[in-house]
Amino acid sequence: MDQTNQMSRIVGVVPGAWGNEAVETTLAALQSVCGDMADCDLLVPGDAGIEQVRELAGHAGIKRVHCITGDGAADRAEPDVAARLVSEALSQTGGSEPATLILTPPGPDGEELAARVAFHMNGNALGRCENVRVEDHGVVATRSAWGGRKQLVLNVSGGLSVASMRAGKPVLDSSRSEAEQFAIDVNVELPPEPSLDQEPTGESLPPVESARFVVSGGRGLNEEGFAQLEQIARKAKGTLGGSLPAVDAGLVPVVRQVGISGKFVTPELYFAVGISGTPQHMAGVSPDTRIVAINKDPEAPIFSMAEAGVVGEWQQLLPEILKALDD
Amino acid sequence: MDILVLLAGVADSRYPLHEVSLDGNGDLAETGQTRRVLGPFDEGALELALKLRDKSETTRVHVLVLGGPNEDALARTVAAFKPDSLRVLELQPCRPWDSALTASQLGAFIRSDNSVPDLVFVGREFGDLDEGSIPVLLAGELEMPMFPLTQFAQWRGGQEQEQEQEQVRLMRERGTSREWLALDNTSYLATVTNDKRNKLRHPLMKNVMMAKKQPVDKVCQATDKAAGVTATSMTDPETTERNVQCRMLEGSVQDQAAAIADYIRQAAG
Ligand SMILES: Cc1cc2nc3c(=O)[nH]c(=O)nc-3n(C[C@H](O)[C@H](O)[C@H](O)COP(=O)(O)OP(=O)(O)OC[C@H]3O[C@@H](n4cnc5c(N)ncnc54)[C@H](O)[C@@H]3O)c2cc1C
Ligand SMILES: Nc1ncnc2c1ncn2[C@@H]1O[C@H](COP(=O)(O)O)[C@@H](O)[C@H]1O
Repeated sequence: MDQTNQMSRIVGVVPGAWGNEAVETTLAALQSVCGDMADCDLLVPGDAGIEQVRELAGHAGIKRVHCITGDGAADRAEPDVAARLVSEALSQTGGSEPATLILTPPGPDGEELAARVAFHMNGNALGRCENVRVEDHGVVATRSAWGGRKQLVLNVSGGLSVASMRAGKPVLDSSRSEAEQFAIDVNVELPPEPSLDQEPTGESLPPVESARFVVSGGRGLNEEGFAQLEQIARKAKGTLGGSLPAVDAGLVPVVRQVGISGKFVTPELYFAVGISGTPQHMAGVSPDTRIVAINKDPEAPIFSMAEAGVVGEWQQLLPEILKALDD
Repeated sequence: MDILVLLAGVADSRYPLHEVSLDGNGDLAETGQTRRVLGPFDEGALELALKLRDKSETTRVHVLVLGGPNEDALARTVAAFKPDSLRVLELQPCRPWDSALTASQLGAFIRSDNSVPDLVFVGREFGDLDEGSIPVLLAGELEMPMFPLTQFAQWRGGQEQEQEQEQVRLMRERGTSREWLALDNTSYLATVTNDKRNKLRHPLMKNVMMAKKQPVDKVCQATDKAAGVTATSMTDPETTERNVQCRMLEGSVQDQAAAIADYIRQAAG
């Protein structure tokens, strides 16, 4: 692998160990910020899955992928470790024009990563943004506030900004060639690995971030309703999600919470049952995802975002849907 | 063990948002009927601290409530849970969108305070203008390792053992595993997410009444650090990006179910 000290002003960061969904959603964020993807670099702490990353990045139009390696870094996927590697790598390659904007994957881990990178690089943490633009005089970002009831425009006039963005899926073109790969080997002291006792939760459905089909339940449901949603998820080889009140009620674990303070999901289809469609919840569903909804209230906001809907009660509908899926 | 709980509150979402705008200095101007209440993550942070205190005579819970609109009412809500200390912390200036500035103010205050807490609990988001950066940056400021998205906390050995327990264990779930961290002698900052096990208890009525009469202590942390991030405008959100016409499925329940099943099958591919 070659070495380079060239780095664009806009850099995407995604740890290789975080998997394809994280890579894709980071590429989508880069595409929505950069006019020309040839102007962006992708920085990958750790070499896990680097071949896949390089292929996806190339298909998204990225020309350069930099893989950061270092002693003991290979299988550390924590945001803080990734952030230290990125900080060190960029200080080695910064050259005359250091990066202006770093974008991290959307979702809780990526949002932590953004703050960590900002901390280690003494930059500005912009957090979860709806829009980011790099202008001549700095970075302009739009962020939602008060749970989506207001929008703030933020300005950074100098130095580095770090943000994450929820842009959905990237436009990929498999006729594009793979990105060129560069290596950055860093020497940085990593914090000790926390010693955690682990036990399985017994979860057997796939994670919400990666499924093509997600069925989610809200405050309108109970245990019985969630058991039926789970069966639907299994039959359709999809997975299960929920709103914050459903998590609070213990109906679904918080790892499946979809929303502003939860996971960002990008399935083909999102089936929302007994969910009203608050901005806090919908911030977790990709703008390019199609939505189908069941709600007993014809005025529920979810119907203004759904492609199809039924005004009705889940108690009647879910058993029939299960039957219909068997046919 | 000294536990510090940081609470920011959120505007009560059952009511329309009070009037908010930016003044000439780019600072927040809030008017009208402000209803700041504990948010789901504030509640989780407070409940976990109370749970640990329930099982330990030497554990103290100290609370800092972020200053701002209706701070007295918010602080009195907390006072009803009888924390061992309770103060309203005013930040000057208060610019929560500038997470680095805010975290440095919080960090400076905590460092200058009487003693370093053994454990800091803070919600995964610090109020309505943060999206999770402030707690992460605060851990950095305090040079504390961070345990993200804590769902539950207990003394080592759980509830079976009667004697004073030594070690706190924090729990979170990730993917398909449940992870427990046993705290050693290092101070930790734990961000808290919502979970059925950390729903805030109801205070005793007599404590609620007492809290109403209690004076609220106020402290302040100023900074002259230059702004890194400035807010230039605040607007109503753009109308929904999803410009779709919803097809309302009619007919019998069976017809409706069949139509939905078609959508599902199509997506499942
Ligand atoms: C700081 C903060 C962060 C938050 N983060 C998130 C987040 O990440 N994710 C999230 O989801 N929320 C979040 N929330 C909560 C959010 O404000 C809403 O409370 C939540 O999204 C509402 O969830 P819901 O749609 O399930 O419940 P509701 O809004 O109560 O809707 C329930 C719906 O069920 C329908 N219903 C009832 N019975 C039936 C029936 N028998 N059949 C069919 N339909 C029925 C009702 O008509 C109603 O529309 C957050 C709140 C705060 C303060
Ligand atoms: N009006 C509200 N504004 C903001 N958060 C709320 C409000 N009502 C409830 N919550 C939070 O939402 C969660 C569900 O609340 P509940 O409806 O009481 O089950 C709790 O964790 C509360 O903290």
